[in-house]
Amino acid sequence: MSDFPVKEYPFTIHVPDADLDLLQRKLDSTRLPDELELDGSQQWTYGTPLSSIKRLVARWREGYDWRKSEAEINKLPMYTRDISVDNFGTLNIHYVHQRSNVLDAIPLLFVHGWPGHFLEVRKLLPLLTEESADHPSFHVVAVSLPGYAFSEAPTKPGFGAPQFAEVFNKLMISLGYEEYVYQGGDWAHVLGIRAANMYGGRHIKAWHTNCPITKPKLSTILAHPSLIPRILASPFVKDAREAYATSKRYLSLECAYMKEQETRPQTLGYSLADSPVGLLAWIYEKLVAWSDDYPWTDDEVLEWVSIYWFSRAGPAASLRIYYEMSHGGTGDFFHGTQWIPIPTGVSYFPGEIVRLPKSWTRLLGNVVYQVEHDQGGHFAAHEVPERLACDLRKMFGRGGPAFGVVPGRSGYSLKKN
Amino acid sequence: MASSDERPYSISIPDSELDFLKKKLELTRFPDELEGAAWNYGAPLSDIKRLVGHWQDGYDWRKSEAALNTLPMFTRDIEVEGFGTLNIHYVHQKSDVAGAIPLLFAHGWPGSFLEVRKLLPLLSAGGPDHPSFHVVAPSLPGFGFSEAPSKPGFKGPQYAEVLNKLMLALGYEEYVYQGGDWGYALGKYVVTNYGHRHVKAWHTNMPLPGAPSLFKNPLLYLGMFFLSYDETSMKRLANMKRHRTKGTGYFNEQATKPQTIGYSLADSPVGLLSWIYEKLVSWTDEYPWTDDEVIEWISVYWLSRAGPAASTRIYHELTGGMTHDTDQGTVWTSVPLGVSYFPKEIFQLPKSWSHTLGNLVFESDHDKGGHFAAFEQPEAIAGDLRKMFGKGGPAHGVVPGKGGY
Repeated sequence: MSDFPVKEYPFTIHVPDADLDLLQRKLDSTRLPDELELDGSQQWTYGTPLSSIKRLVARWREGYDWRKSEAEINKLPMYTRDISVDNFGTLNIHYVHQRSNVLDAIPLLFVHGWPGHFLEVRKLLPLLTEESADHPSFHVVAVSLPGYAFSEAPTKPGFGAPQFAEVFNKLMISLGYEEYVYQGGDWAHVLGIRAANMYGGRHIKAWHTNCPITKPKLSTILAHPSLIPRILASPFVKDAREAYATSKRYLSLECAYMKEQETRPQTLGYSLADSPVGLLAWIYEKLVAWSDDYPWTDDEVLEWVSIYWFSRAGPAASLRIYYEMSHGGTGDFFHGTQWIPIPTGVSYFPGEIVRLPKSWTRLLGNVVYQVEHDQGGHFAAHEVPERLACDLRKMFGRGGPAFGVVPGRSGYSLKKN
Repeated sequence: MASSDERPYSISIPDSELDFLKKKLELTRFPDELEGAAWNYGAPLSDIKRLVGHWQDGYDWRKSEAALNTLPMFTRDIEVEGFGTLNIHYVHQKSDVAGAIPLLFAHGWPGSFLEVRKLLPLLSAGGPDHPSFHVVAPSLPGFGFSEAPSKPGFKGPQYAEVLNKLMLALGYEEYVYQGGDWGYALGKYVVTNYGHRHVKAWHTNMPLPGAPSLFKNPLLYLGMFFLSYDETSMKRLANMKRHRTKGTGYFNEQATKPQTIGYSLADSPVGLLSWIYEKLVSWTDEYPWTDDEVIEWISVYWLSRAGPAASTRIYHELTGGMTHDTDQGTVWTSVPLGVSYFPKEIFQLPKSWSHTLGNLVFESDHDKGGHFAAFEQPEAIAGDLRKMFGKGGPAHGVVPGKGGY
């Protein structure tokens, strides 16, 4: 690891014994509900099935070893840093920072969403930081959103997209990355649009999303009249019809969690803070529904949920982003965002939960790279890391549409091997 | 009409259940809260902390239980086609007046049989000036101390079947019906399936009409275009919109994923408390809840026979997993209908639309009261029922031989 000139403050997770003890006592006194008698194919009709929860709770009580997870996670290069946010004081932000051996690697900020977290970068790290003559390398910074994992949460209402973007940008600049690229899905996609609007060009030189959704604005359409014929043709295009059907299903049948989190995050928060099985069921429902036949192991699920259970601000804090971004359920997430002029890359994964017709993607921004996959879902970085890494390598590598977008940081070693 | 085969019921929660609850309360882990959040993000932390503290140290379930056991409660096996037998818990308060009108009172969610408590003395009281009622108030299947169905598909007609069979089993071949919340929605099924033959009239404090349609309600429909709605109607629609935008997260979750939220409600006393308390406050008209009242209300859910998760399934079953309206399959009937409007009810449509629900013969307006009208304003509800069914009232004598005097 080359000398890094900026002072960083290493962070190791150490959950106090008392917290582990409380969790154990709670698990030992879990009270489970009953369940309606359902056929095999109907198991998920009413929500997370009881058999899954029973199995997971039994493993959580006995078998799953948090200290083992903790020790493994602590092998990641983690740090914390105070970031001041206008009107919100200072937030202590947790992040992973993996440098490449390639000095001129491209600085990349990886951001997660809900119910995700910083560990979604784990499998990408070796792939993105790997040195090779054949593909570019990245210095990767993976931040925990304020209110998630080991980042502090804001204490006042109103912490919305501009504030999140401010944290991202200040973090990267404080690490000496004046110019960088951005990757994210879920909330990281929505926040990425804002970050690209605020810091695009000057700091963010290009960005990539694996969850390309937007709310098309008439003004955007009118400003890009060449898009109109393709948009109008949407109903006649198979891809568009399928995208519409997927999105409609998600919005009508799978969005109740969002409605509650947008309008009454505190009410729901009492359950998620107090009940391990409640938190487990709430998150596990999405881990399964939103991934593409990903073979979750029980320990993988429990580690994932434990990050929420042991998070610095508690699980309730993670819900508030929905409230703030929708103004308590009265507005839309994309309000105030503009078409993005910086190079934009898009990866389409078949298991993504809400999809726009591909012809609409250009309403998002200056799309220079698009790739479609036949495998992978919402948690792409975790489910199919090689594919996502490959997409970033193609987008930013020699011959790619965003090669050299960060001046002086081509992603390749100057030395010839 | 004697129901000599009624099996009296006393609530008797085992000590082990109460000890277990106490243990769980001691392990409560609270979330944080944003500064100045008040009610904007949901139930406030200070309220919830105070209530949990009271549940641990101040509230006495055995005292509640003893008081509830002075109510005339019973259980009865009711057979439901395709679902076997469900043991149903109910309150049955008979009037001393021989010709009292049999009335079925149906609660909703997050309500319970407790909501009839204050109405009982008012409705069963006799006198020359007002009619008297025999009151039957069941716990809906899956609520209170009634069994829950164990298979999917227990929908409106099944609930209605239970309610009607209960009345028939008690010897009430003909009766009247009162309900709000699910009690309203189930009323539509009861009236559709058993109207005239068994249900002679019905009353609701939560009318939820759809918009008039050209073919079903031509005059009202045309009125929508040519008459401007008065200020009251516009205000009602605005309140309704607000509820739909801000207050339906619980509905959507319970209608699509009742099992998922069920884990929290079954496992977490504070989770159950806050989920319900949020509605007890936001849906009432400044009702001065005491902490004991709130905890007793929540305890009925926590200690319910089928557990709190079972109570949420009615949302999934009656909306087809949120794919259709709750009254699908019900029809307009000429069974006389009475409606009471309370200012803080969560659903507020233009009053003229109530005609689309049935043969509207009685309307009453109040300036105080909310969603839990029978609990908040029992005199108002009792007064309305007395007016509707009393001498000179539009539904007087609907039950032959049982005029109420």
